Amino acid sequence: MATFTHGNVSIEVDEDGFMVNPDEWNEEVARILATTEGVDELTDEHWKLVNYLREYYLQFGVAPMIRKLCKETGFNLKKVYELFPSGPAKGACKVAGLPKPTGCV
Amino acid sequence: MAEAGTATADALARLLAGNEGCDPARLVPLPFPYEDWRDEAIPPLTESQRARIEPGPDGVSAAQIPIPGGEEERERLVAGFLDGLRKLLTRENNWTFLQPLLLSMENCVKCQTCAEACPIYTGSGRMEVYRPTFRAEILRKIVARHLKPAGRLFPGLRGHDIELDWETVVKLAELSYRCTLCRRCAQACPVGLDNGLITREIRKLFSQELGIHMPELHEKGTVKQLEVGSSTGLNRAGLADIMEFAEEDIREKTGLDIKIPFDVEGAEYLVMHNAGEFLSWPENLQAFAVILELAGVSWTLSSELVGYDSVNYGLFYDDVQYARVALKHYEVAKKLGVEKMMVGECGHAHKALMPIADRLIPDSLRVRTESCLVVLEDIVVNEKILLDPSRNDFPVTLHDPCNITRSMGIVQPQRNILARVAPRFREMEPHGVSNYCCGGGSGFAICSSLNFGEWRTRVSGRVKLRQILEAFSDCIEPETKKYLCAPCSNCKGQMRDLLGYYDAWNRCGILYGGLVELIVNAMVDVREGFIEWNLH
Repeated sequence: MATFTHGNVSIEVDEDGFMVNPDEWNEEVARILATTEGVDELTDEHWKLVNYLREYYLQFGVAPMIRKLCKETGFNLKKVYELFPSGPAKGACKVAGLPKPTGCV
Repeated sequence: MAEAGTATADALARLLAGNEGCDPARLVPLPFPYEDWRDEAIPPLTESQRARIEPGPDGVSAAQIPIPGGEEERERLVAGFLDGLRKLLTRENNWTFLQPLLLSMENCVKCQTCAEACPIYTGSGRMEVYRPTFRAEILRKIVARHLKPAGRLFPGLRGHDIELDWETVVKLAELSYRCTLCRRCAQACPVGLDNGLITREIRKLFSQELGIHMPELHEKGTVKQLEVGSSTGLNRAGLADIMEFAEEDIREKTGLDIKIPFDVEGAEYLVMHNAGEFLSWPENLQAFAVILELAGVSWTLSSELVGYDSVNYGLFYDDVQYARVALKHYEVAKKLGVEKMMVGECGHAHKALMPIADRLIPDSLRVRTESCLVVLEDIVVNEKILLDPSRNDFPVTLHDPCNITRSMGIVQPQRNILARVAPRFREMEPHGVSNYCCGGGSGFAICSSLNFGEWRTRVSGRVKLRQILEAFSDCIEPETKKYLCAPCSNCKGQMRDLLGYYDAWNRCGILYGGLVELIVNAMVDVREGFIEWNLH
């Protein structure tokens, strides 16, 4: 476990930079986490993806399947990679404050 | 070069304490189009990680073992290890695997036949610490020196003077996570010894006695599964959402209106899927539903806690966690009153619910269990569904999951199926019970923390990648789309990362997926194009 500090915000993250306490997420935290993913500015498209992931996680305790994510947001996988270069799981989920996916996924 | 088995204890101890990473130039070479591919060295832990975590002798960390805080903690680690080792070697504390463990510990003739059978040892360019006998030799010398009554007398003269300090203990724990437990070495051994089992028992010692394990297997694995219902964290509401989506997706893709059955009491089969399929490879569970429905099989899934996730990572590292999960699986099946369980395309769930359960779980607590491959073979070969193999007019090869083929001897059913649905099928060499592991076995595919993901794609999966490329060498150009059939969730996870790291979709046009997808893709009653040829 490690602490990631940016300005006056400190976030507890795991060894891969995912939030340890997803409850502490807010939009400011998302912007900071995005910088660790090489995303300097969160556009409306980024937010659409992040908000969808966030809401799904709060409701079901996991990240949605990628197929569903693409269908519901209207972004194909290529587009998701354009928005978050390390991909839906490692990039978008991290910024949305989800813990790192576990199990055989 | 010092070789385990003939090396002195001193030489072994030096290797264990060493800090030599894999040299990318020594990795086994890859064929076209990768002759010029240059791997970068596996990155070492960062300074801040290294300040907290002790890696293995190769600089890699899987178990994320914290550096002990002071003298007292160090001593506790060593004492706990020796206590655990004593227990591992006594019947009352290790009735489960003592016999094969002792046979393997006491009868090695040091011929080193196993070394050349190991894809990690050979793939790495023959790094000594990955030699299949390396861990076993260290353990033998520790037992001889520290647990045998006369071990303390003149140990140097008898070649087992390994001193035990906390670093030796930690390095051994880490090394137990550099073997995928594929047991190819055991098959090659002329005496029938099982270095994979020794490795697994070392993991068990560390988990049960010292709380050291790969976090993905324990905290985020079995513990989470028993608490939430699935190691993925998927709860019942999420499961329902996924199934609703899956039914809609089946309708759109196949034109069929199929209801996925849940909690049907008295069904013939309770189908046990790895929950990873639900989240990452939903086409696999959809294909199962299409085949079973159209073949008229009486089947159901379960929405009970643990009943909707066939994984049992305890198999890889801990007898107690194994038993907790296995008993829960059988309890769910008994409660539903199904005749049998059918294990989906998940290799380790096959092994956990069949051969290992045969050994560890009393008959009265079990439910008859079958492999999906056997059921599917009956459906395909006896023409319970209509097939048009010309729909699968593309090259296909098969990866044999170690737990299904080598550990259980299920070799022919999947081939009988492929003979009916894949006209351009070709074998990898070697295959069947002599297959090579995907490199993600024993839970590795779910671990990509710290620098372990890099190790797994560059080192442990290297020989498998070579095999895949060779199997498709006559059509390796990316314009020819090819299908790598891997009927196991864990193997698929590894294939995704392996093919992804080597950019094999763009360079070679290789798509991976399960077996049922190929069957459905050839079904006459299904709209054409079930397999989607794009990166996923």
